[in-house]
Amino acid sequence: MKLLFRLFLLLLVSASSVHAWSLFSSAEEERYPGMGGDFTLQSARGEISLKDFRGKVVLMYFGYTSCPDVCPTSLGALSAALKKLDDEEMQQIQPLFISVDPERDNVEKLREYSRYFHPKMIGATGNLDYLQTLANRYGAYFRKAEVEHSSMGYAVDHSSTIFVVGKNGKLADMIQHSDSPKRILEHIRAVLEE
Amino acid sequence: MLKQLFPALLLGLTLAIPAFAGSAADDIQVIDPWAREVPPGLTTSAGFLGMKNTGDKEHKLVAAESANTGMIELHTHINDKGVMRMRPVENIPIAPGGTTMLQPGGLHLMLMMIKKPLKAGEKMAITLVFEDGSKKDIEAEVRHFTMENMKH
Repeated sequence: MKLLFRLFLLLLVSASSVHAWSLFSSAEEERYPGMGGDFTLQSARGEISLKDFRGKVVLMYFGYTSCPDVCPTSLGALSAALKKLDDEEMQQIQPLFISVDPERDNVEKLREYSRYFHPKMIGATGNLDYLQTLANRYGAYFRKAEVEHSSMGYAVDHSSTIFVVGKNGKLADMIQHSDSPKRILEHIRAVLEE
Repeated sequence: MLKQLFPALLLGLTLAIPAFAGSAADDIQVIDPWAREVPPGLTTSAGFLGMKNTGDKEHKLVAAESANTGMIELHTHINDKGVMRMRPVENIPIAPGGTTMLQPGGLHLMLMMIKKPLKAGEKMAITLVFEDGSKKDIEAEVRHFTMENMKH
């Protein structure tokens, strides 16, 4: 009887520990279930894939270069946050600007634009269908919007979120548009320390 | 002589004042006008300022011009559940006694087809045009993005 009770206890302990482990692991592996994932885009340095940056925290932003306000504001805030990181932290960071306007943004233009905000920032793009699928997978939104009574032709409506991909390649965090450089820095450091 | 001149002067003043006061360009005080430095290769940027209406009737900014741009449009951003939609607006009203801010993320002067690249520290001459046709010349300071973020 005593043995049976001990066995029962053992079972209870092991079951609960397994359960605890699975909870822990699901939180680690799937913070945003079904979202994110690998991709390959074109940049001035050739093809780049998210896989190339395993072991680094990738900071991704979807935008377009003729966006006069929202993109520079977000990228400027991101840049200000990156300046606060020390060299060792910065070595583990890869900023990435993804243009959702391949019609107007070629890879050379994207290189110049991205560099302006941070020397390590890579500018990349792809074909429109691929970008649409990619944006959907990350929960980003963009849509070409014809603008009447304007000589800009069209604007691109878009969400303004910095996607933080962890060192394991999984989506780890999303930083919203209005966040200050200080808040952005906190988000980045939290993922760096994981 | 003086006695004759005085009523004439008075008449002249009363005629001059209504024509003068109330012009939008006179009523509007411009606060901290600036434009964003353009990353290399780009010819599009944004200009920002505050407009304070010291008069007693509403004024409207209807256009802006600059010799350094092919075109300036008045734009706003609508934040629609996180999606930023940039759209032109016909005019930007400034209520009597009120202040309208053109600032990042909202109303702005969309500077298009910029001829000479905007470099931080330089000034850009812009002319504001109001609903009554009156104009106001301003000098917008060109700022690098790091100069904006110091405020945070």
